[in-house]
This record gives sequence, C-alpha cells and structure tokens, in this order.
Amino acid sequence: MSLWLCLRFDQLPLQCLDRDERQPVVVLAAQRVICANDCASALGIQPGMASATVRALAADEPVRLLERDEQAEQSCMHQLCSWAYGITPSLCTWQEHCLQLEVGGCLTLFRGLQPLLAEITRGVSSKGFSMLQGLAPTPKAAWLLSFADKNSAMAIDQALEERLAPLPLDHLAPVAQGIDSLRRAGLYTLGDVLALPPASLSRRCGKAFTDFLQQLLGQRDDLQVSFTPPASFTDAVWFGYEVKTCDELLPTVQQLLQSLCHFLRNTQLRTNEITWQLVGVDHTLLDLRVRSASSHSDWENWYQLSCIHFARLQLTNGVEGLNLECQDLQLGQQESIDLFSPRSQREPLAALLDRLRNRLGLQAIETVDCRDEHLPEFSVQVGNELTGSRSGPRNRSVQRPFWLMPQPVPLRQQGENLYWNGVLTLHYGPERIEDNWWRQAVSRDYYIAADAAGQQYWLFRDRLERRWYIHGVFA
Amino acid sequence: MNEMLEQVIKRNDTWRGRRDYFRAGGASANSNLHGAQGLPTGYSTLDAELRQRGWPTDGMVELLSDGCGMGAMGVFLPAMEQLSEQARWQTFIAPPYIPYAPLLAARGIDTGQILMVHPRSREDLLWATEQALRSTTCSAVFSWLGAQEYRYSELRRLQLAAADSDSLAVLFRPNQIQDHHTPASLRLQMCEYRKVRILKQRGGQQVIDVTLPPEEDSPQQPQLWELPQNPGAGQPAGAAEYRA
Repeated sequence: MSLWLCLRFDQLPLQCLDRDERQPVVVLAAQRVICANDCASALGIQPGMASATVRALAADEPVRLLERDEQAEQSCMHQLCSWAYGITPSLCTWQEHCLQLEVGGCLTLFRGLQPLLAEITRGVSSKGFSMLQGLAPTPKAAWLLSFADKNSAMAIDQALEERLAPLPLDHLAPVAQGIDSLRRAGLYTLGDVLALPPASLSRRCGKAFTDFLQQLLGQRDDLQVSFTPPASFTDAVWFGYEVKTCDELLPTVQQLLQSLCHFLRNTQLRTNEITWQLVGVDHTLLDLRVRSASSHSDWENWYQLSCIHFARLQLTNGVEGLNLECQDLQLGQQESIDLFSPRSQREPLAALLDRLRNRLGLQAIETVDCRDEHLPEFSVQVGNELTGSRSGPRNRSVQRPFWLMPQPVPLRQQGENLYWNGVLTLHYGPERIEDNWWRQAVSRDYYIAADAAGQQYWLFRDRLERRWYIHGVFA
Repeated sequence: MNEMLEQVIKRNDTWRGRRDYFRAGGASANSNLHGAQGLPTGYSTLDAELRQRGWPTDGMVELLSDGCGMGAMGVFLPAMEQLSEQARWQTFIAPPYIPYAPLLAARGIDTGQILMVHPRSREDLLWATEQALRSTTCSAVFSWLGAQEYRYSELRRLQLAAADSDSLAVLFRPNQIQDHHTPASLRLQMCEYRKVRILKQRGGQQVIDVTLPPEEDSPQQPQLWELPQNPGAGQPAGAAEYRA
C-alpha cells in the first residue's frame, strides 16, 4: 500500500531568511504580506495585507520588513530534499514549499509509522523549520489534509472521503480551475463536490477537474517526477565574523564532513578527493585539496586527513566562510580489515599511506619492486604508485648487497688505492655484468671491497670508461 | 601492598627486576616467561640471550652502528621474512639508500609491502615514525634517526607508541650516542658483521656479545655478509692491472 506524507513548510519564506522570534518580522512580495512570525501575528498582521496596513498595525513597535528571496527558499527546499532522501527514495516537491514523501515502502525500515514520524519531526526541527503534515494514500490528498486540523490530518485509519469532506474548496484554487463556478453554485466544501455524480461534474467544470478528483481519491494514477540527488556535493558555512586561527575552524570542518558523509551514505557513493575553500575577509579564496588513496565515505577518516592540512596552514588574514566541495564521486567497494585476524589492526592499510602522503607530499612516499633486468639499477623499480603484493624469483644465489645507491657514485682514486670514507681493499670478484648493448653498452666488473672498519661495499669498474664506482653497501 | 606502588608496577614501562630474569642459562620453555613471546630473530644464539626469546614487539629496539650499518639490516632479514606473512606494511623511514628489491624477493619478502618514507625535517621524521607505529597497519617500522640530537621525551613518545603497537620497531642510531639514556627496551650495537652486542635489555642480561652462527643462514639464498669462498681472497687476480 502506498502511503504519502506531505510536509508543508508554510513559514519557509520567513524561516529561510530570519528566525528571530523576539520582534515582529514580516516577509513581503509585491508590497503584500505573504508570511509573518508569531510576534507579528499577535499584532494582527495577516498574509495578504499591504505594507501600509502593517505599518499602521505595528504603530510604535519596530517591525522588520523583509523582501521575499525565492533563491533562498529554493536552496532551503533543496537542502530539505537531500535530507528527506535519507528517509525515502521516492519523494518530490509539490506546489510551493511542499515535500511529498512516499513512506509506505519504508515502514519496516523504521519499525512502524510512529518512529518514522518522530524521526521526521526531529530532523525538521533540528534544521529550524516548522511544518504541517498530512498523511493519506495519495499525494494530493496528503497535501490537502495538511490544511486540515491535526487529528484528521494524520488519521490514516478513517475513510479518506470522510476526512476530506470538511475541507473548504478554496485550497484547490492553485491546482484546479472552475472553483469559482462551484462556489457560485453554492458548493463550499470538498464533501459537497464529492457527493455530486462525476459525469455532471465533468460537464460543469471540465475534464481536468474530475481527473484531479480521481487522482485525489486514488482512482487514477498520479505520477510525479521523483527527486534525484545531485551529482556532486557542495556545502558552505558562512561565519559572519572573522575567524583568525585554524583551531576555530575545526568544529565547522567536522560538521561539514558529517554532512558530506551523510550525503555519500545516502547516495551510496564514495570519493577520494575533497576540496576545502577558505573565503577570507578580503574575499581571497584559498583552496586546500585533500586526497586519499582509497575512496571511502567515513567522515572521521576525512577529518583526520583534513586536520593534517589545517594544522600546517598559516592564516595570513581572517576567514569568513568555509566551503566544502566534492566533485568526483564514484561507486566503490569499501576496503575493510580482516575481522578474524589475530592482530590488532584497526584500520585498512591505505589509511597510513593517506596520512603520510597528506603531510609529507606524494613524492615522499615510495615503494620498491623487482624488474627482470641484468643491470642492478634497473632491476629495482622505485615508484610512488602502489603495487600489489608479489614475490619475485627465489632462485638467486649470488652476492648482492642490501642497500643499492640510486646512482653509482664515482670513487676517488689515488695511485693504487680507492677511497670511500677511507681506503678500500678489494676482497672478492670480479663478477662481470654486461647489458644494454642495444642502447648504451654497459660492461662492468663488480667487486666486493671492505674499508678499514670492515664494512663491505659493492664496487664496480666500468670497463668502457675505465673508472671505479661504488654501487651498494652490504648491511 | 602500597596502592601507589601497585599502580607503578602495573605500568607497562616500569622496569621490574625479577630473579628468574637474571637466572643463568635462561628459563625453560614452559616457564612463566613463555607468555611474553618475542618475534624469533632467526638466530638461536641471539634468541637465547634476549629476554623474550626474540625481538620485543611491545617496545622499541635501538641499534647503534657506525657508517653504513655493518650488517645491521641482515640481523632483521629473518624477522622481515616472517612478518611478510602478515601482509602489512614494512615501513622504512628515512632509509640511507634503496633496499635492493631482488634480494628481498629472493629471501621471500613481499616487496609490495615495503614502504619508503622520506621526511624532509626532523619533526616530520619523528611524526612519520610515530604515525607508522600508532597506525596498527605496520608489521615492522625501521627508522633511521641519523646523527641528530633527540630529547629523551621525543624518544619516549616513540617508545610508548611502540609499546601499544604489535609491530617490530627499530631505530637506527650512530655509535656516539652510546652514553645517552634511552627509553628503548633493547639497545644493541653492531661492532662487526655477525657480532651483536646487547648494551641494554629491560629485565635481561646486559653487555654481552652474541655471535650469529653462519650455519643458521638459510641455504641457497644470498647471504649478506659472508664472502663466498674465493681462491684468491685478499686481492683478486688481475684487479691491479685494471686500475692502471
């Protein structure tokens, strides 16, 4: 059974601009009141009044008159949609400031209707909005019932026609034409209209009106375009005052990351890069890019990585706003740690890599790998990219040092002796390595030498250049 | 017992002298020391002298040596080979050169686990070492602290991090800091190849020289510090004329 919950945010034009309850605030559109707070209502100010009437009613009391901001309303609605997407996947906006949620499919998830409604009430009030609710088997009925008194609006076990009957026809004005002709005929409530035979009603008010009534009662399909979450995430916090130290930013960082990860969890996406943008008081923008080797949606992880960046940040001038942007979202597999491992590993392997890379830079972390080459310097591959686990050839039995120098270093040669931190004596060799003839021929004789203290080195004599080099250390 | 004394004894970093720690010949395999098993070093002579019968994984090891280490890495190769099974990182922080990957692979060490970290400053070096120890994703952390001075408190941070983790933590330091105090649970010195001196050991014997027996090296695999039998040892034939 489908069950629709309509959330009507009747105070949205006011609440998206100002939530002050200590003085009268009124929102005007084209010099007419469209919304007033409780203080203003107490003075007798009502929607539809002209601004001159408001001033007259307020007399000496200071009233704040705000111009309606449709953009702010829209972004609030968008924010509410994103939040409601965490409750049900099928939802849409309806009329001005209404949210239609199909909740019939998620009753089991929330273990019943009451916990679900409690969750919704908690979520909306934590965002600072007030709302009116209506619950019905069809979206249009739910919307109409949000105008009804509280008891009948949520009384889902009563018959729908009975609950709709006392509602005045005026509420239909924005969605259906022909209301005026019905009123002239002496019909004032929905009950009066529903009692008429549909055929004669169709002749009088047109097919659109009867279609509407059929959708209202669930006799005809009512299809709406469902909300789809956006493809990228952006969120911002505007402090409204100057923040001078990075430590003061951290609670906001945490809050924004939580909202990001809430979004990621709802959309079942992950990301491996987020961008912070610090808006300075002089409108300079500073971008901080935080990367992670594996994509994930765990806010604590992102918080740790962001802290590394913020800790090193020197703020030259104050910050007034903080934006969080995340463009690159992808579907991904969560990397998890082995639950049954006997060791106390608490995080995936990539977590350490992320922290090191974020503080020391991408180049500071290297991995090594084997290559099947004859020349020692080519048989070790050093890179910044992660390679998978591998095991190399196990059949060598020749002398190789533990440490290899990145480049062979020329040795100082004086008479008969070679010097590297003191005089060296050759102990073992030669072992000839020749290779690379197709590009630049290399021919070397490798020796093992030791210095006075007994430390052993790996040297070679370049047979073509006739020079000595040191290439490795036995350790 | 005095309550304060009890609390002090409960601390992991309190060094308690117990008679059986100092008993000559070491404890038998089924003694109460058996619980605190270290990671086998791969050398029976060294295992016998270490209190936990292996490398301690609940504290850090400090290894002093001059110059290029004098076989210092070879001492840990058998341990690295064992730790390779854990499929966690083996981190090299500020290594002097590049580890020769084919040698590691030939010893059965997964080269994909080796992570080389090159910090730019002293602070970054300490930070990276501590992070690696605290992250629980490393089976071994080798850190080359270099010849700089470190405060006791800085090293103690590392020791505490090492005590909490189950990784093998090794700091490489030069010989000249021998007289400085250390919070490490084990301090070794490499004097020459195959010769390790235990300078300090928590709850164990100290200042003893250990020779690592050549016969325990794994056969048919490249040995680090043993010269192959060369008939003309000393000066290879023909080497002199190359120099001309």
